[in-house]
Amino acid sequence: MNTLFLFVTYFALFIHVAMMAIAVWRVWRGENVIDRILGLELSSTLLLAILVLISLIFQSNVFIDVALALAALGFISTLALARFVVREQMY
Amino acid sequence: MSNIAQGLAILFIIGGTFFSVVGVVGLVRFPDIFTRLHATGKVGIFGVVLLLIAVAISTPLGWGKALILILLLVISGPVTASALASAAYRIGIRPVSAVQDDLQQTIKKP
Repeated sequence: MNTLFLFVTYFALFIHVAMMAIAVWRVWRGENVIDRILGLELSSTLLLAILVLISLIFQSNVFIDVALALAALGFISTLALARFVVREQMY
Repeated sequence: MSNIAQGLAILFIIGGTFFSVVGVVGLVRFPDIFTRLHATGKVGIFGVVLLLIAVAISTPLGWGKALILILLLVISGPVTASALASAAYRIGIRPVSAVQDDLQQTIKKP
Protein backbone atom coordinates (compact mmCIF):
# COMPACT_ATOMS: atom_id res chain seq x y z
CA MET A 1 0.00 0.00 0.00
CA ASN A 2 2.80 2.36 0.86
CA THR A 3 4.60 1.65 -2.41
CA LEU A 4 1.40 2.26 -4.40
CA PHE A 5 0.84 5.52 -2.50
CA LEU A 6 4.36 6.74 -3.31
CA PHE A 7 4.02 5.70 -6.95
CA VAL A 8 0.71 7.57 -7.38
CA THR A 9 2.12 10.66 -5.66
CA TYR A 10 5.26 10.76 -7.79
CA PHE A 11 3.18 10.23 -10.95
CA ALA A 12 0.87 13.10 -10.02
CA LEU A 13 3.95 15.25 -9.31
CA PHE A 14 5.32 14.49 -12.78
CA ILE A 15 1.98 15.37 -14.41
CA HIS A 16 1.78 18.66 -12.49
CA VAL A 17 5.32 19.67 -13.52
CA ALA A 18 4.48 18.94 -17.17
CA MET A 19 1.29 21.02 -16.92
CA MET A 20 3.26 23.86 -15.34
CA ALA A 21 5.53 23.83 -18.40
CA ILE A 22 2.40 24.24 -20.56
CA ALA A 23 1.26 27.20 -18.44
CA VAL A 24 4.69 28.89 -18.71
CA TRP A 25 4.57 28.33 -22.48
CA ARG A 26 1.20 30.12 -22.45
CA VAL A 27 2.84 33.08 -20.70
CA TRP A 28 5.53 33.15 -23.39
CA ARG A 29 3.21 32.82 -26.42
CA GLY A 30 -0.06 34.35 -25.29
CA GLU A 31 -2.63 36.04 -27.51
CA ASN A 32 -3.04 39.15 -25.38
CA VAL A 33 -2.11 40.47 -21.97
CA ILE A 34 -5.01 38.89 -20.08
CA ASP A 35 -4.02 35.51 -21.53
CA ARG A 36 -0.51 35.93 -20.12
CA ILE A 37 -1.83 36.98 -16.71
CA LEU A 38 -4.04 33.88 -16.78
CA GLY A 39 -0.96 31.77 -17.49
CA LEU A 40 0.82 33.32 -14.50
CA GLU A 41 -2.16 32.66 -12.23
CA LEU A 42 -2.43 29.06 -13.44
CA SER A 43 1.29 28.44 -12.92
CA SER A 44 0.97 29.83 -9.37
CA THR A 45 -1.92 27.45 -8.66
CA LEU A 46 -0.01 24.50 -10.12
CA LEU A 47 3.04 25.39 -8.01
CA LEU A 48 0.74 25.31 -4.98
CA ALA A 49 -0.41 21.82 -6.02
CA ILE A 50 3.25 20.75 -6.42
CA LEU A 51 4.00 21.99 -2.88
CA VAL A 52 1.04 20.02 -1.52
CA LEU A 53 2.29 16.89 -3.30
CA ILE A 54 5.80 17.38 -1.89
CA SER A 55 4.22 17.68 1.55
CA LEU A 56 2.46 14.36 0.88
CA ILE A 57 5.73 12.70 -0.15
CA PHE A 58 7.82 13.88 2.79
CA GLN A 59 4.90 13.78 5.30
CA SER A 60 6.03 17.21 6.45
CA ASN A 61 4.30 20.28 7.81
CA VAL A 62 6.59 22.98 6.43
CA PHE A 63 5.43 22.92 2.80
CA ILE A 64 1.81 23.60 3.79
CA ASP A 65 2.94 26.90 5.34
CA VAL A 66 4.80 27.79 2.13
CA ALA A 67 1.68 26.91 0.13
CA LEU A 68 -0.44 29.17 2.37
CA ALA A 69 1.86 32.16 1.76
CA LEU A 70 1.99 31.39 -1.97
CA ALA A 71 -1.83 31.26 -2.21
CA ALA A 72 -2.19 34.68 -0.57
CA LEU A 73 0.57 36.22 -2.73
CA GLY A 74 -0.87 34.78 -5.96
CA PHE A 75 -4.34 36.12 -5.15
CA ILE A 76 -3.09 39.64 -4.41
CA SER A 77 -0.73 39.74 -7.43
CA THR A 78 -3.40 38.62 -9.90
CA LEU A 79 -5.86 41.24 -8.62
CA ALA A 80 -3.17 43.95 -8.78
CA LEU A 81 -2.13 43.00 -12.33
CA ALA A 82 -5.75 43.03 -13.55
CA ARG A 83 -6.37 46.47 -11.99
CA PHE A 84 -3.10 47.78 -13.44
CA VAL A 85 -3.93 46.62 -16.97
CA VAL A 86 -7.33 48.31 -16.87
CA ARG A 87 -6.09 51.53 -15.25
CA GLU A 88 -2.97 52.09 -17.37
CA GLN A 89 -4.47 50.93 -20.70
CA MET A 90 -1.51 48.77 -21.66
CA TYR A 91 -2.07 45.89 -24.04
CA MET B 1 -1.14 5.66 9.17
CA SER B 2 -3.83 3.13 8.41
CA ASN B 3 -4.48 1.39 5.15
CA ILE B 4 -7.98 2.82 4.67
CA ALA B 5 -6.80 6.43 4.99
CA GLN B 6 -4.02 5.76 2.51
CA GLY B 7 -6.44 4.23 0.00
CA LEU B 8 -8.78 7.22 0.32
CA ALA B 9 -5.78 9.53 -0.15
CA ILE B 10 -4.85 7.67 -3.36
CA LEU B 11 -8.41 8.15 -4.67
CA PHE B 12 -8.35 11.87 -3.83
CA ILE B 13 -4.94 12.37 -5.50
CA ILE B 14 -6.17 10.68 -8.68
CA GLY B 15 -9.33 12.83 -8.70
CA GLY B 16 -7.43 16.07 -8.17
CA THR B 17 -4.92 15.25 -10.90
CA PHE B 18 -7.81 14.43 -13.27
CA PHE B 19 -9.43 17.83 -12.66
CA SER B 20 -6.09 19.63 -13.15
CA VAL B 21 -5.51 17.81 -16.45
CA VAL B 22 -9.03 18.79 -17.58
CA GLY B 23 -8.35 22.43 -16.75
CA VAL B 24 -5.03 22.59 -18.60
CA VAL B 25 -6.51 20.82 -21.66
CA GLY B 26 -9.24 23.48 -21.62
CA LEU B 27 -6.56 26.19 -21.43
CA VAL B 28 -4.90 24.83 -24.56
CA ARG B 29 -8.02 24.01 -26.58
CA PHE B 30 -10.59 26.74 -25.89
CA PRO B 31 -10.97 29.66 -28.36
CA ASP B 32 -11.08 32.86 -26.28
CA ILE B 33 -10.16 34.25 -22.88
CA PHE B 34 -13.55 33.87 -21.18
CA THR B 35 -13.90 30.16 -21.88
CA ARG B 36 -10.27 29.69 -20.81
CA LEU B 37 -11.10 31.38 -17.50
CA HIS B 38 -14.01 28.98 -17.10
CA ALA B 39 -11.69 26.00 -17.66
CA THR B 40 -8.82 27.10 -15.42
CA GLY B 41 -11.13 27.78 -12.49
CA LYS B 42 -11.33 24.00 -12.11
CA VAL B 43 -7.62 23.72 -11.33
CA GLY B 44 -7.91 26.05 -8.36
CA ILE B 45 -11.19 24.82 -6.94
CA PHE B 46 -11.25 21.06 -7.56
CA GLY B 47 -7.64 20.01 -8.16
CA VAL B 48 -5.83 21.63 -5.26
CA VAL B 49 -8.74 21.20 -2.84
CA LEU B 50 -8.87 17.44 -3.46
CA LEU B 51 -5.10 17.24 -2.96
CA LEU B 52 -5.47 19.16 0.32
CA ILE B 53 -8.17 16.74 1.49
CA ALA B 54 -5.73 13.93 0.72
CA VAL B 55 -3.10 15.71 2.86
CA ALA B 56 -5.57 16.17 5.71
CA ILE B 57 -6.67 12.54 5.86
CA SER B 58 -3.35 10.78 5.25
CA THR B 59 -0.62 12.80 6.95
CA PRO B 60 -0.45 13.26 10.73
CA LEU B 61 -0.62 17.05 10.52
CA GLY B 62 -4.38 17.16 10.51
CA TRP B 63 -7.15 19.39 9.26
CA GLY B 64 -6.17 22.85 10.62
CA LYS B 65 -3.95 24.45 7.97
CA ALA B 66 -5.56 22.42 5.20
CA LEU B 67 -8.97 23.89 6.08
CA ILE B 68 -7.53 27.44 6.14
CA LEU B 69 -5.95 26.88 2.72
CA ILE B 70 -9.16 25.36 1.30
CA LEU B 71 -11.13 28.39 2.55
CA LEU B 72 -8.60 30.80 1.01
CA LEU B 73 -8.71 28.98 -2.34
CA VAL B 74 -12.51 28.81 -2.47
CA ILE B 75 -12.79 32.54 -1.70
CA SER B 76 -9.98 33.72 -4.00
CA GLY B 77 -10.70 31.60 -7.10
CA PRO B 78 -13.97 33.22 -8.25
CA VAL B 79 -12.68 36.70 -7.31
CA THR B 80 -9.61 36.41 -9.56
CA ALA B 81 -11.64 34.88 -12.41
CA SER B 82 -14.19 37.71 -12.22
CA ALA B 83 -11.47 40.39 -12.05
CA LEU B 84 -9.64 38.96 -15.08
CA ALA B 85 -12.85 38.68 -17.13
CA SER B 86 -13.82 42.26 -16.24
CA ALA B 87 -10.34 43.53 -17.18
CA ALA B 88 -10.46 41.64 -20.49
CA TYR B 89 -13.82 43.17 -21.38
CA ARG B 90 -12.72 46.67 -20.39
CA ILE B 91 -9.62 46.68 -22.60
CA GLY B 92 -11.68 45.68 -25.62
CA ILE B 93 -11.58 41.88 -25.89
CA ARG B 94 -14.96 40.48 -26.92
CA PRO B 95 -16.22 36.88 -26.73
CA VAL B 96 -15.69 35.02 -29.99
CA SER B 97 -18.97 33.20 -30.49
CA ALA B 98 -21.33 35.30 -28.38
CA VAL B 99 -24.90 35.56 -29.68
CA GLN B 100 -25.93 38.60 -27.65
CA ASP B 101 -23.78 41.14 -25.79
CA ASP B 102 -25.84 43.00 -23.22
CA LEU B 103 -22.85 44.49 -21.41
CA GLN B 104 -21.97 46.65 -24.41
CA GLN B 105 -24.88 49.05 -23.87
CA THR B 106 -24.39 49.46 -20.14
CA ILE B 107 -20.61 49.74 -19.84
CA LYS B 108 -18.80 53.01 -20.46
CA LYS B 109 -16.11 52.83 -23.12
CA PRO B 110 -12.66 53.49 -21.64
